[in-house]
Amino acid sequence: MNLQVRPMEPKSKNRPPVVERPLASKDASESARPARPARIEIKDFDAWYGDFQAIHGLSLDVPRHQVTAFIGPSGCGKSTLLKWLNRMNDVVAGAHAQGHLVLKGDVGEDDVDLLARSTDVVALRRRIGIVFQKPNPFPKSIYQNVAFGPRLHMNISRRETDELVEWALKKAALWDEVKDRLHKSALGLSGGQQQRLCIARAIATGPNILLMDEPCSALDPASTARVEDLIFELRQQYSIVIVTHSMQQASRVSDQTAFFFQGRLIESGPTEQIFTRPREQQTEDYVSGKFG
Amino acid sequence: MTMPAALQRDDANDQAAKAGRRKLISRWFYLLCIAIAMLSVLVLAVLLISISVQGGSRLSVDLLTNAHSELHPEQAGMWPAIVGTLFVCGVCALVALPLGVGTAVFLEEFKPRRPELRVLRRWIPLGQRRWDGVCTGLYKAMRGLHGFVQLNISNLAGVPSIVYGLLGLSVFVYMFNVFGQITVNESAGLELAGVRHYYQVLTLQRGEVVLIPQQDLQQATITVTEPVEAMLPSGERVTLSLWKPGTEKPTEPELRRRTVREGATGGRYSQKDWYYFRLPLGRSFLAAGLTLALVILPVVIIASQEALRGVPPSMREASLGLGATTWQTTRNVCLPAALPGILTGSILSMGRAIGEAAPILVVLGAAIAKNSGPQHLMDDAVTMPVLIYNWAGRQQQVYQELAAAAIIVLLVILLLVNSLAIYLRQRLRQT
Ligand SMILES: Nc1ncnc2c1ncn2[C@@H]1O[C@H](COP(=O)(O)OP(=O)(O)OP(=O)(O)O)[C@@H](O)[C@H]1O
Ligand SMILES: [Mg+2]
Repeated sequence: MNLQVRPMEPKSKNRPPVVERPLASKDASESARPARPARIEIKDFDAWYGDFQAIHGLSLDVPRHQVTAFIGPSGCGKSTLLKWLNRMNDVVAGAHAQGHLVLKGDVGEDDVDLLARSTDVVALRRRIGIVFQKPNPFPKSIYQNVAFGPRLHMNISRRETDELVEWALKKAALWDEVKDRLHKSALGLSGGQQQRLCIARAIATGPNILLMDEPCSALDPASTARVEDLIFELRQQYSIVIVTHSMQQASRVSDQTAFFFQGRLIESGPTEQIFTRPREQQTEDYVSGKFG
Repeated sequence: MTMPAALQRDDANDQAAKAGRRKLISRWFYLLCIAIAMLSVLVLAVLLISISVQGGSRLSVDLLTNAHSELHPEQAGMWPAIVGTLFVCGVCALVALPLGVGTAVFLEEFKPRRPELRVLRRWIPLGQRRWDGVCTGLYKAMRGLHGFVQLNISNLAGVPSIVYGLLGLSVFVYMFNVFGQITVNESAGLELAGVRHYYQVLTLQRGEVVLIPQQDLQQATITVTEPVEAMLPSGERVTLSLWKPGTEKPTEPELRRRTVREGATGGRYSQKDWYYFRLPLGRSFLAAGLTLALVILPVVIIASQEALRGVPPSMREASLGLGATTWQTTRNVCLPAALPGILTGSILSMGRAIGEAAPILVVLGAAIAKNSGPQHLMDDAVTMPVLIYNWAGRQQQVYQELAAAAIIVLLVILLLVNSLAIYLRQRLRQT
């Protein structure tokens, strides 16, 4: 498993273009196939909390450099799947899973079995950042919050940290609001600012996949718009998964959409198709607001 | 839909009456609470006043700086006891706090995880379902073990401290006699460090003492029958001259200075470096400190666990989600957030250790003759509660007053310790 820590370049707006690999032939035969090759491959995935099975035989591809939206009624297992993608469920008592859950490597990298006990979850979570539904900044200063991740993983000088913090806060569209109070407590920020701080904190570690669990559910329309702009911009370099209860948001920001119901994947495909020409009746009912 | 019957009833009068009664009850309950709170303050006040009246006159600098005295009780003090308490509780803190916080971290932050046994699964064909059963079973067993440790700790917190005293006696003082026994003149046991020089101490005619280096370590005492080489406390070497009782004493001052009665017997004395160490620990302040550590350990663990449980899980998720290891999360997020609670619990339990008498009485005994703090690691000590216990048990009025005065000193120290806890909590809350 090749998960070495690569030196990070804060100003990575112009990373070398990723060479895309040809589509697998199996994918090509399906009608609703991802437009880009898979970043995360999920096949026959089951997940439990103790004896309760939260996800049943789920198969889905999360494409590279696109935004994938998970939608579905409350309790259908969206967060559960999201948390398995970077093993946050490791710390949940009784949570276990089985199936095929593989992170496809970048060029020159090996694939990573996301479920293997031997997988280095620390390196994994550095590559797969996560933003939670409720903003959860540390009770430390704004600066320390953003610098928390980088400081865990590498020895960086004061100057490099400054630069990194500024870059991340700018990306998260928060810099202008907090640049004069970087060393004040992050708990003094408004809910929307806190959520953007959490996004800045997540991207400061240098992930290339970003998981977002209802990142806008606690935000006002203006902050939501900011976060959506951010997602739009980030997708140039990141593969993003976003869980959302807002159909409008899903249709605005995502390229691919997956609809879940009671722990099963009902339908997935390009967002446009899911919202205009869903194949399943359940999907149509849900996206048109008939239930859920 | 029709409204439930209870909501349809129109009984404004009834409700008003009920509201009046409710408010009355609430008011009376409030008064009752105040009365109960006042009662506890009153009891404390009575205690403080009666003790101050009894011991106030004995409060003086002498009380703080002198040692206990049998002959001149009016000059007796508690300095050795203050130093002794400091040493015993220092050992207790050094052992109990890291161990207690560490155990709490283990119990709260390193919960067992469900094993997947992927490798074993590959090798032994048992079938998916059976393997799942095995994994779940293992997980439940590990959780059971965790719960068992937890249950034991909660139970230990309720064990009377005298029981810990007996435990400390056999574990630390005697160490089950594995290393031999320590005899009265401390010649046995396993001695590990701290060179000892043996002397026999003789008292000269003029009340000075001389030391005679001893070669034969088995000999408990010697009797002087012929002129011997000796050492004055100043380090000067002299040859002692003998004086037979019944004959004339020497008159020349220089000679008188080093004259000893023929047949005088010495007492064994050994000089130890401060790091003198032996096994078993014997009746030493180290053994007492370790025993006290056992007494407060469950309290420290439970307080630290409570504090760690108070850290929101979302903080742990945030840290782990950024790729922190469990230890990094504990160190950077959980411990700082739980620190006020951990500190408060630790300091309050140290207060308990300072005031604890029973286990010390068992481990160190009730003697209070010592006139200094511990001189080396294996030295014994007097502590304040033991001194108070001893003084309070005496008939003479003076000692009664001294005990009361010592209680005041002890209370002041405890009060200082508790206010330190409050101060630290406030400080850490603010930042
Ligand atoms: N820690 C847990 N322990 C036990 N059961 C859990 C746990 N977390 C979630 N579940 C259960 O798993 C199922 C899926 O939960 P999940 O959180 O994935 O739903 P969700 O789709 O994210 O819902 P929402 O949209 O409300 O966030 C639910 O039935 C829930 O009750
Ligand atoms: Mg959820």
